Amino acid sequence: MIVVNYLAAAALFALGLFAVLSRRNLIKIVMGLSLMESSTYLLLISLAYRKGSTAPVLLGPPPGSSPERLAHGNVADPVLQNFCLTAVIIGVAITGVFLAVVVRTAQHYRSLDSDRIRELRR
Amino acid sequence: VSPGTLAPLLPVPVLVLLAGAALAPLAARLHRRLPAVVAVVAAVTATGLLLAFAPTVYGGRLLVDYLSGVLPVHGAALGIAFAADPFGLTYALVASGVGAVLAGYTLSELSGLGRRELGGYAALFLLLDGALVGSALTADVFNLFVWFEVAALASYALTGFFLERPVALEAAFKVLVLTTIAGFLVFVGTALLYSEHGQLNFGALHEALHHAAAHGHLPPVDRIALALLVAGFATKAGLAPFHGWLPDAHTAAPGPVSALFSGLMVNLGIVAIGRLVLQVYGPGTGIPVLGVLTVLGLVSALGGALLALVQDDLKRLLAYDTVSQLGVVAVGLATATTTGTAGTVWHLVNHAVFKSLLFLCAGAIVHLAGVERLSQMGGLARRRPLIAVAFLVGAASVAGIPPLGGYVSVGLIHQGLLDSGQPVVLALLVLAQVVTVAALARAAYLAFFARRGEPYGELGRLRPGMATGFGVLAALSVAAGVLAGPLLPRVAAPAAGWLLDSAGYARAVLAGGGHLGAPAVPFDWADPLELALFGVSLAGGLLLAVAAVRRPFAGRVAALLRPLRAVQTGSVNDYAGYLTAGVLVVAAALLL
Repeated sequence: MIVVNYLAAAALFALGLFAVLSRRNLIKIVMGLSLMESSTYLLLISLAYRKGSTAPVLLGPPPGSSPERLAHGNVADPVLQNFCLTAVIIGVAITGVFLAVVVRTAQHYRSLDSDRIRELRR
Repeated sequence: VSPGTLAPLLPVPVLVLLAGAALAPLAARLHRRLPAVVAVVAAVTATGLLLAFAPTVYGGRLLVDYLSGVLPVHGAALGIAFAADPFGLTYALVASGVGAVLAGYTLSELSGLGRRELGGYAALFLLLDGALVGSALTADVFNLFVWFEVAALASYALTGFFLERPVALEAAFKVLVLTTIAGFLVFVGTALLYSEHGQLNFGALHEALHHAAAHGHLPPVDRIALALLVAGFATKAGLAPFHGWLPDAHTAAPGPVSALFSGLMVNLGIVAIGRLVLQVYGPGTGIPVLGVLTVLGLVSALGGALLALVQDDLKRLLAYDTVSQLGVVAVGLATATTTGTAGTVWHLVNHAVFKSLLFLCAGAIVHLAGVERLSQMGGLARRRPLIAVAFLVGAASVAGIPPLGGYVSVGLIHQGLLDSGQPVVLALLVLAQVVTVAALARAAYLAFFARRGEPYGELGRLRPGMATGFGVLAALSVAAGVLAGPLLPRVAAPAAGWLLDSAGYARAVLAGGGHLGAPAVPFDWADPLELALFGVSLAGGLLLAVAAVRRPFAGRVAALLRPLRAVQTGSVNDYAGYLTAGVLVVAAALLL
């Protein structure tokens, strides 16, 4: 638990959301979403932290220790770190699709203004 | 077959669909049409495998499989569990079965596509279908998030797949923004639950939450986690005010894709909400989430129906009706009574069938006649009678005309509302039904029976594969009503039983299996109140439809609805704003 990290994560999330809500440029919207995504990683890694803990690496223990002792000792929560790894992979795929759509949109509409790309309404 | 031999096979249907997704693009190298054949074969195989579980699961037995055999130790489950309860299996069967019909239909309607397009399309189709089956069977919150993201990724690509229509790009961007935000909400909600309780398994989470609730108040973090999860999955389900992406995605995609989205994909959200609210949190936590769901459902049911009433684009009209129908489902789920929940399960099945049918009809009209707007259609009943019959069967099921499926499921939801003492909600739901009937009657009249000034320039032929798709789905719509007598106690009743017995479900998941008798779900075709409500909604709906079409009133109806329609600004920033506001409202309501 690191309070300042939680505050930083909340601030980053709010900043990203602000960009999504207020920027009309599609690239800036994608950047805002990336910022929100990063803030969730910061939150999760901070949730996984234990005071005075070591990284949850059980292979190759330091001299005088064993994987079992490491696992019973004070390590950061590997499950939440694992969540982040999964989400990073998903995030990369989604950003790829996102940018592909933005590129095709720019080619077709000759604009990146979300206010001018709204044929579908009502 | 004994449950011991069946349970390890639970992940196989998902694997079949995912393997099909990997094979389809490769198959395109051999023959142009082979990917679509792969899609049909994979979906039919998955359906067959799921049917093999059906006798055991509908007999009241919960099948559980811990992937890679990582079993729970002292009530802590780190392995990912797949659990087939009647609710999940029903949804998985619908997803794969209707998916097979849609894949076959695609083979016929979109067979003109090129080799690479058909390969990519079939791969995305199967990826989405596999994710839907996976989400129905999983009993692990993080695994549910992963299936959510797989379905989302496939849906982004499918929305923007047909790039010859530029609106597809616009729609894809909106779907991307809103679903990505929903993904963050689900992700953070899951992480909060895990960091608070150290559990991800549905059963273990339920026991941890109830342990905390029994020892005083639940910590606020559990309430925030539930708010984030409900809001995230409500976005997938297209409940208002999270629905901004839904009408656009459906308008831009071709018929079978809209059918896949509306009939099958949106259910993922409502199935996840049902599991989290009823099975994981359960009634003992004292969080007012059922009230929140009722409000979200009513807003969606009424708002969606009103927006559909004066809509000119046929597919967009049907998409707004999806918002409305999912609202009805959410209200039914929130009754948390046996009849109401059984009605919800049945309505999900009905909606998957009739909405797929209606979207295929709309897509066929666009495909054959090249017109999208109701004002450009007309006279199609004489020109393409088969489409007209199929559309009318679907619309009749939505309107709840006996003996079709809609009458049964909506009747059960009404009964559930009376059982839980919510007559006002019932009245509002009937009002939404009146508007829904009007919207569909107006659409059917304008498309099929209204006079068209000039003849159609070019009107394509209905291919036999397309006609088969219509026939199968129409027959299923009728069967969902006619066969309700034998099917309700065998399918919907055990599903409701497992959904409402959260403690029993949790024990069974952790124990690797369990048994539960089905509760009684009384349904009477000749219930006087239900017949009266049906009569009111049909008569009121037809009157309103006449008003929405005839000259002196039509303008007034349109003027009345203009402020509501102005909410759909088409701006992605606004839709993200509605979503944010919805999250804040849901979180505030659950924290109070």
